[in-house]
Amino acid sequence: MISLRNIEKVYRTDTVETLALSRISLDIAQGEFLSIMGPSGCGKSTLLNIMGLLDAPTKGDLQINKQRTTDLSDKALAQFRNKILGFIFQSYHLINDLKVLDNVELPLLYRNCNAKERKELATEALGKVGLSNRIKHFPNQLSGGQKQRVAIARAIVGRPEIILADEPTGNLDSAMGNEIMDILLDLNKREGTTIVMVTHDENMARKTHRLVRLFDGSQVQ
Amino acid sequence: MVKHLFTLIWNKKKQNALLLSEILVSFLVLFAVFSMLVYFYHNYKKPAGFKCEQVWAVSYNQSFAESNTDSVVQYYDAVKQLLLSLPQVRSVSLASSNLPYFQRTIQYGIKQNAISVNNVNSYDIEDSYAAILGLQIMEGRWFDKSDITFKNKPIVINNSLKQRLFGNGKAIGELIGDGPDKDKRKVIGVVQDPKFDGDYTGAGLASFSRIDTGNIRWVGNMLIEVAPGADAAFEAKLYKVLANSMKNGNVEIEYLTNKRKSINYFALVPMIILSIISSFLIVNVALGLFGVLWYNINKRRGEIGLRRAIGASGKSISVQLVTESMLLACLALMIGSFFAIQFPLLNVFDLPAGIYLSALLLAIIFVYMLVLVCSLYPGKQAAAIYPAAALHED
Repeated sequence: MISLRNIEKVYRTDTVETLALSRISLDIAQGEFLSIMGPSGCGKSTLLNIMGLLDAPTKGDLQINKQRTTDLSDKALAQFRNKILGFIFQSYHLINDLKVLDNVELPLLYRNCNAKERKELATEALGKVGLSNRIKHFPNQLSGGQKQRVAIARAIVGRPEIILADEPTGNLDSAMGNEIMDILLDLNKREGTTIVMVTHDENMARKTHRLVRLFDGSQVQ
Repeated sequence: MVKHLFTLIWNKKKQNALLLSEILVSFLVLFAVFSMLVYFYHNYKKPAGFKCEQVWAVSYNQSFAESNTDSVVQYYDAVKQLLLSLPQVRSVSLASSNLPYFQRTIQYGIKQNAISVNNVNSYDIEDSYAAILGLQIMEGRWFDKSDITFKNKPIVINNSLKQRLFGNGKAIGELIGDGPDKDKRKVIGVVQDPKFDGDYTGAGLASFSRIDTGNIRWVGNMLIEVAPGADAAFEAKLYKVLANSMKNGNVEIEYLTNKRKSINYFALVPMIILSIISSFLIVNVALGLFGVLWYNINKRRGEIGLRRAIGASGKSISVQLVTESMLLACLALMIGSFFAIQFPLLNVFDLPAGIYLSALLLAIIFVYMLVLVCSLYPGKQAAAIYPAAALHED
């Protein structure tokens, strides 16, 4: 499903060159739940961004669904992200000026999807994360765990094949973290969604199918 | 997407209030400036309705010791004959003080059946007046000697007054005024509107009457049509002739062409000053808009990163931000138009509705252009935001 070959990422400024990722090769199968661990600054988020087509590798090849992504235009990449990928972030990235339902509908706005259909799909997604009773609330009226559930609903509303989660439990206490993890596991199990999750939490990582460890930009496990 | 953007704008109404106010203020200023410009242009493109070349205006302050009106009439006949004997003088007409371009007004009101018309300029003149100024007769005729025998005092009106009193109906032969029939005045002619207050000012309503010989002693002005080539030397000669005829008369001679230049200049000066002030204001508003949009974009980097992540292309981000600004402009223009539309509805300043509507349209187009130009670059910058970096920053 996702294939990375000799991925390298170098950040350059006028005076400094930083190697963020070095020769990463990785295959992730459909329906797999993979976690990526490593110390801060080891390149976990950079790797996730490259898989999520939010960042381009300096070298190497990335294929998603057997399609080479490095040559795609900005518009094609945007469509790819919209249809194939779903994102969950540590800091939720909800738009505070939009109600929960509107936040969840967001990815559908970039598709040919009418208002009625958008509402139905968003309500259904919110139902899956147990937030049907919060659709008219604004994000600042929700707890951290509820916000992350909204973010999950937004990630799954377009029925993507792959979900990329960047420390989804990082801002939550353990009970809420477990709640979120259960939702992701359930999603992976029931709907066969491929999930790649960056985490610092060993316990969470253990619940996934496979663990990849990074250190100083290189894969060590 | 438009509904989504409206929701976003509405939910951020407090943050958008400043931007909305800026657009609203700039619209109202532009509406005022455009109303003035359109009004001036509207007047400018209309024909002058008379000619001022080779016409000199003479003002004097002649007092008559004789109580006999006939003596005064004879005096003026002698002065006119004297002037006409000069080879450069073609025609002479005594006139009331409201000479063309002199910005003096003598006004009255007319009641005609159910119609009441105010601010009608009254010009007391002689028969030669129309020929001197080249007034264009549209209907009927100008005054002649036969008018002495009229039962009702004859009157010539301009086209605007005719439209107000009679519309497209017949005016010639009609009696105007609301007193008994004997006091009413009979319309004998209609002239094209003469723009006596300058090229940029409307002609207004006007009526012309022959100078009543009973009041001729109070006349203090005359128009003289001179031959081409009449120069300063002739002006000096003319002055001497008049000064000799009017002892202690404080004679003053002015060219109508110079008066026209002067009055046009004074009409344009406030417009130029207002335009300069409004240009500065618009530049300030443009910079303000630009700044607020720029600030908003920097504040919304996380949101922009998120939108890129969930499927927005760089172009669609740019389009979204420009559309948001345009929708905000729509709201400001709706509020502004509500106020602007009151001007034609309430007939403020007695200007034709078409002037306000044209100004409204121009101001709307200008504001849209302003907002578009001011939001294009911030929109382009937003499109260039790197999603991974923006998501990481937030």
